[in-house]
Parts: sequence; structure tokens; C-alpha cells
Amino acid sequence: MRRALLFSALFALHGCGFGGRVILANLAEKDPPRPVPNKIADPYRSDTRLSALWIGHASVLIQMDDQFVMTDPVFTSAVGELSPRLIEPGLAVESVPPLAAVVISHMHFDHLSFGSLEMIQDKVGVLLLPPGAQSSVPTYSFESREVERWVSVTSRGVKITAVPVAHVGGRYGVDAAIHPCAFTGWVFEYHGLSVYFGGDTALDRPLFEAARHKFPNLDLALLPICPLHPRDFMARTHMSPAEALDAFGLLGAKSMLPIHYDTFINSDDAPGECPRVLREAMGARGIGDDRVTVLNVGEQRVYARTR
Amino acid sequence: MAACLTLASQATAREEDGPVPPVFAGVVWVATQLVPSPLLAYGSGAVHGGVRWQVTPLSLSFGVAARPVRAFLVAPIARYSGSLEFLFSPEWIGGAAENSTGWVARFGTRLYLPVVGKGESFAWSVGGSYYRAAGGDGFAAELGAYWLFGVFGLTATVAPTMTQREIITAFQIRYF
Repeated sequence: MRRALLFSALFALHGCGFGGRVILANLAEKDPPRPVPNKIADPYRSDTRLSALWIGHASVLIQMDDQFVMTDPVFTSAVGELSPRLIEPGLAVESVPPLAAVVISHMHFDHLSFGSLEMIQDKVGVLLLPPGAQSSVPTYSFESREVERWVSVTSRGVKITAVPVAHVGGRYGVDAAIHPCAFTGWVFEYHGLSVYFGGDTALDRPLFEAARHKFPNLDLALLPICPLHPRDFMARTHMSPAEALDAFGLLGAKSMLPIHYDTFINSDDAPGECPRVLREAMGARGIGDDRVTVLNVGEQRVYARTR
Repeated sequence: MAACLTLASQATAREEDGPVPPVFAGVVWVATQLVPSPLLAYGSGAVHGGVRWQVTPLSLSFGVAARPVRAFLVAPIARYSGSLEFLFSPEWIGGAAENSTGWVARFGTRLYLPVVGKGESFAWSVGGSYYRAAGGDGFAAELGAYWLFGVFGLTATVAPTMTQREIITAFQIRYF
């Protein structure tokens, strides 16, 4: 306990300067979000078994045969009131198809957007939340449920399992101590396909190994690759691009989609730095674009086609 | 202080370190409750400064998906997405007469209604309270507006019988 408090104090002192820099950087951001050209109007592809469309940050639309699921939807022009989007959402709200489920990895503003859920509420089958989060979510027209780790929920035939990750709970900062477990990853299974969503996580090898043990045939892993800097501050809760590749290896997934970068300012990272560092790490390990695909916001990649 | 508390909370909240001791959550709550809201009191041609603290013994939220009834530890979204709360506010207002005190105890109810972003972006409130002060006791009416997750707000309290402090405007800083 004493050690935890001492560490907390040192961590806080170090982080105060970083927090101020991020706030100032967001306040200085005056440009409107960059437009996304040629947005996909109808993301359903009849020739596709598995596809992913990167909406931006941790928001991904996944097609698994005839069903869609969405991760951490954010369509608002800003998150946390103060952090504007750097680029438009890669999918228009009116183009969002009916969703078997929407999953939330944790309660931070860039992952749980109340306004965004309001925008798509007539399309959401069920909202799945990490343990302890439901009491901090407003009421909507759809059902919302908390899911304990390793527990599965089925919606419209899609089996969705909460899997442990290493992050922090809370929404407003100081409530992290009130919601110590409100963060999770998710695995989607449907018609023999399986997709891992890491949300926001540090590299915790046993957790990824446990996920592989439970889901040995993952087709796709959506893994956060940033924020990077300041690294000693971020490493406890966020993977670097190289660590994301480690996680990809530990999960044993066939493909990886890097997420969680270049959409909002939440770190000292330079624009474009995260995918560049990822490509360098891929090159050093001999991992090709066929296995780890860096998508543009709004781009949809097909991972499995119908025969 | 709030930024540092935030970061300390996050540092302590990683699950691999084991469950967060309830005492830490209590410390966070107490620390945030101690942050005072500055106020200005107007009356009889004079203006006096002061501070206000706020405690919520009971809150009934009609805007959240779970746990509508809360005591003391009230998450901002539970309050600003729509709620009725019972409040206790100790206040200190300057300019008290000699042999008197500037302390005021206020008990009341407040209704919060969301306007933008389920109340996280903008919400307002209307309320009423009973106060006890050195110069006597009485009733007050109040209006408030809140933004930035309700951490900041402006309230105006009107108490016609509160001598030299008939109108109080407060810049509210609040967390739980």
C-alpha cells in the first residue's frame, strides 16, 4: 500500500507536466478535421466473410458474414470537450449498418462517447460494457449490459467474450480509483470466424497468452499501437508499435489491424510517427503488409471472402 | 491538484496491482470534496467574497442505465444526465459583523436537467434551500448552469431575507 501510494505520487508529479502539454496542444488545434475522401456509403459486401473498416482511433466496423459489430464508436467532432478530431470519421453516421453489438473497451472519452452512441442508437442491437461501467452510462433506447471477463454474450448469433487487458478504469480521471476494473478487451466469434479487439492496453504477456489459449484460431486482431510518448508514462497502460507486434505474435492471429493513433491529440506523439515506427518494427521483424495492414481512416479491408 | 489526483488514481487503479483499497477511493472523494467554490455575495450596496463546499447525501438519478440511487459519491454523469439531489453546503462569506460569524449552513434540493451531450457538455439546475446563518435563517431559490462534465458551473442564489447577502453568485468547481 505504501509503495503504491509512493509510486502514485511520483507518477502523478511526472504526469502533471505531460497532462498540461496535451491540454495546450489540443487548445492550440484550430484546423477543422481533415476530410476523408470517398467515404464508403454501404459497408456491406456480399462477397465478404470478414472485413474491417477503420472509422478512426479505436472505432472499427467489422463485418462477419451477414452481421456487423462496432468497437468504441466515436463520431463526434471532439472528445472530452477539449480534444478536437484531427480527421473526420471514416464512415458517415447514416452509413452505419444495423449492428449486432457495440462494444466499449473502457470509459475514457476517446472510447466511450455518449454523443456518438446517441447518433447511432437506432442501429445498436446491444451495448456491451466492461465491469462497473454501466452505472456511468446514460440511458438509451438500446439495451446495455456489463460483461465480466471470460464471460460470453450472444447477440444475433455473434458470440462476444470479454477478455482481460491491462489498462485503467474511470472516465473523468479521479474516478479511476472508483472503477478499478472498468476496462476490457473483446473477442467476436461468428460462423467460425474470430476477431480480437484489444481496446486500449499495455503489453501484458500472460493476458495475451491466456487469450490465445482460449481463442487459438483468431483471424484478426485489432491492436492499439500508440500513444508512444512520454514512453515511461505510457508504457504502463499503452503498447508501443513494437509491443503491439509482440502482442500480435502472442495472440497468434492471422492478421493485425493497428488502431488508436492520429485521430486525437492524447500524447506527445508527432503526426504520422506511430505508423512510421510500426513499419520500421515490421521491417526489422520481416512482417509484411499482408499480415499487418495499416489502413487509412475510412478504408475497408477484406480479410476473408466467400468461396 | 485535480490533474495530479487524476494521475495518481490511474497509477493506483491498474488491476494487476490488486484491488484498489477502499481507503484510496475515500481519500480521492474527500480530496475532491475539499476543493472550494468561490462566491460573491451582494446586498445593501456591498459585495463580499466567500467560498462554498458541497456534499450530496442523496441523489436520485433518472438519466443513467444503472444504480439510480447514490449517496455522497455521485458520478458527474449520474448528476448531470438528470437527477434530483439533496444537498448540504457549508459556506463562508466575508464581511460578517463583529461578534458574528460568516459561516452559513445550507440544506436543500436541486433538480438537474441535461441540455447537451447527456449533460456532460451542458446542463442546468433549479433548486431551493433552507439556510442557517448568524443573522437568522430563511429560504433561498437557486438557478445553475454547468459545463465541462459539470466540473464547472455558475449558480445564482437569491434569499430576500438574508441580510446583506440577498444574492450570491458562485463559480462552482465540483467533482462528485
